[in-house]
Amino acid sequence: MEGEGAVALHLLSIVGGKGESILTNKVPGYRRKEMLWAYAFVAIPLLGFVIFGLAPLIASAVLSFTKWDMITPPEFIGWANYSGMFGDEKVYKAFFNTTFMLIHVPLGMIVSLLLAVLMNRKMRGISVFRTIYYIPVISPIVAVSILWQWMLNNDFGVINQTLWNWFHITGPNWLGDPNWVKPSLIVMGLWGGVGSNMVLYLAGLQAISSTYYEAAEVDGASGWQKFRMITLPLLSNIHFFVIVMGVIGTFQAFSQVYVMTPDGGPEYSAGTVVFNVFEHAFSYFDMGYASAEAWVLGVIILLLTLVQFRLSKRWVYND
Amino acid sequence: MKLKHLTAATTAVALMAALTACGSDNNGGSASPANNSGSASTSASASAGASKEKVEISFMGHAEPNEKEIFTKLIKSFEEKYPNVKVNYTSVPPAEYDQKLTTLSAAGKMPDIFYTSGPAFYRYAEAGTILDIQQYLDQTDLFNPDNVWKQALDRYRYDGSQLGQGDLYGLPKDVGPWALAYNKELFDKAGVAYPPAEAGKWTWDDYLKAAQAITEDTNGDGKFDIYGAANFPLEGAVWANGGDYVDYATGTVKIDSPEFAEAMQWVADLTLKHHVAPSPEDVQAMNAYSRFIAGKIGMFPMGPWDQPAFWDLPFGWDLAAWPSSPKTGETSTWLGSMGFVISSKTNHPQEAFDLASFLSLDPDGQKQNMELGQAVPNLIDMATNDYMNNGKAPEHKEVFLDIVKEIGHPPVEYGSKNTEWLDTFNQDASKVWTGQMSAADWLKQEAPKLQELYDKGNK
Repeated sequence: MEGEGAVALHLLSIVGGKGESILTNKVPGYRRKEMLWAYAFVAIPLLGFVIFGLAPLIASAVLSFTKWDMITPPEFIGWANYSGMFGDEKVYKAFFNTTFMLIHVPLGMIVSLLLAVLMNRKMRGISVFRTIYYIPVISPIVAVSILWQWMLNNDFGVINQTLWNWFHITGPNWLGDPNWVKPSLIVMGLWGGVGSNMVLYLAGLQAISSTYYEAAEVDGASGWQKFRMITLPLLSNIHFFVIVMGVIGTFQAFSQVYVMTPDGGPEYSAGTVVFNVFEHAFSYFDMGYASAEAWVLGVIILLLTLVQFRLSKRWVYND
Repeated sequence: MKLKHLTAATTAVALMAALTACGSDNNGGSASPANNSGSASTSASASAGASKEKVEISFMGHAEPNEKEIFTKLIKSFEEKYPNVKVNYTSVPPAEYDQKLTTLSAAGKMPDIFYTSGPAFYRYAEAGTILDIQQYLDQTDLFNPDNVWKQALDRYRYDGSQLGQGDLYGLPKDVGPWALAYNKELFDKAGVAYPPAEAGKWTWDDYLKAAQAITEDTNGDGKFDIYGAANFPLEGAVWANGGDYVDYATGTVKIDSPEFAEAMQWVADLTLKHHVAPSPEDVQAMNAYSRFIAGKIGMFPMGPWDQPAFWDLPFGWDLAAWPSSPKTGETSTWLGSMGFVISSKTNHPQEAFDLASFLSLDPDGQKQNMELGQAVPNLIDMATNDYMNNGKAPEHKEVFLDIVKEIGHPPVEYGSKNTEWLDTFNQDASKVWTGQMSAADWLKQEAPKLQELYDKGNK
């Protein structure tokens, strides 16, 4: 899905790349037929992209300059939606909450790298463990959220029960205390997300040639030195991918918030940007404002990603 | 390229727009000549003037399984009575209902009849999305408007700028009086007299005293297990005390008033100072409804739709009037209502009106609803006779009727098109419920913010 449009455009440029045009007569018949087929194949994903990707994008950009409740015709209001956001306390809160949850990215990297290293050994039944850690990834997020909602319940949840039974600690009111809602969501996100990153790291680990380690051993490197000097840097392209996707994913967090704290949590402490967009679109039926906010979010993600790509030149090794 | 990473919401939002562009109004089925002359004679005379050609009308609502079953039956009897009309009924999960409806509206595919209430009703009436049914009402002989609760009908009036007066734009599906229920056993155990069913005899002080007597720590762990009260509705307290949220006539937020602050503080103190109601944290662990069902709450609010579940309770319960504010001597609570409205784009307004009035006011349907315990009948004679004397709990059903007749106040959001201000109020109010701020201080701080939000969404 991700690259559909890109692929289509790329293909187009290949087909048209030699300066040939389907309309010029110089092209021999067989070639013309081939090109028609090429266009036909390209047309399918391209149409999909135009209808379900590009058209909504353009429409939402236009709508972001209007006030539209979906019942009356949209009314053009210029930049009012955008300027309105500056005075909207909830938008600030939503951006703060979302940014806060970025902590989840480095934490997730550490945990999943650790898991990947542990899983990267030849041992009977290792694939069972890999599968176990991957199960949360393929579980539907709504089911996962409901499960965690139970586990995090203040009085009856298994987490607070365990804390009390084993350590005699009164656990926090995870989803009811504004200070604990975000950590709860982060913990849940970690549990649900490490599996997929672990698999990526596993692939990365297995791609590292053993000759490096052998050479290091000859030089008398310790286990930590090998990890620090060989494994970590050679996984840099995986780190990069995990960070980029993690940041984007965090900025798009919605479902778990919607399920676990349908009103955005106490004092809106769990409301993410997408959640706020959703509220404006489908609770208050202000599609214009929702579109504007979505665009602001989109541009922020775009900029962040560009910055990351720029910075990556300094630390990502590509063989 | 990275623009593709825009949120799912953008896409959804925009897709809606795309749908509007290509959506066209195709309500109703293709009209085909009727060939059922044999059964035409059974058609109601009310649809005189309408042709007897076969028509299809669509009806969308949100119903839990019991209600859905009733409606399916009702629609079947409607179709028997009007053999030329076929009704396509869909029921949508309540949480998605407003989204679905608004999306259909944007796509120009409104159902002919649908549920609506409060803010959505206001928006639809103002936008001309729903039909003014006054002329059909004036002509109909299907029912007598005088036999329908006045407040229930008035909810669906709109005069071109304000709700509650003018022409009728909908018919009530139900009336939802929010009443006070109490657990008789807990009162007996505490040796407290039952609260009276007549409004004005009991004040907040009496309510508090009873709650204090009932609240108990049964297992001695230092935490209360039985609470005397729970979920005292803030709006009821505010209205009873002479305050209000917003003056809808002028669009002024009025929460920063001594009446409001006093009422809110009183409700908050039930938990904070007197510890006779579960705290927000307690409620987060086990909600007040479950606690009441488990026999651990003395006094708890309920609506008629709770009746079937409460019939199964192992303890005796009854209704009482809400206590009155000692300052004003007044009592108040909200009276909810959901209504049937008709799309202004319908091709078959007469049939749609017939169906709406059938669903709203047909005695058989009303009776079924009543027997299943879902609702207080919309028809006054049925409510005052059959319902009052049906022999089932609660004993003092007149409490419901009193609220429907006079005590009930429209819910806070009724009169507002956009409720972001109210959601924000409820969210931020946790500062008062948890005791971080006094009601007066918080209201003072909150009022300008709410005014801004209100203006943004409603002017």
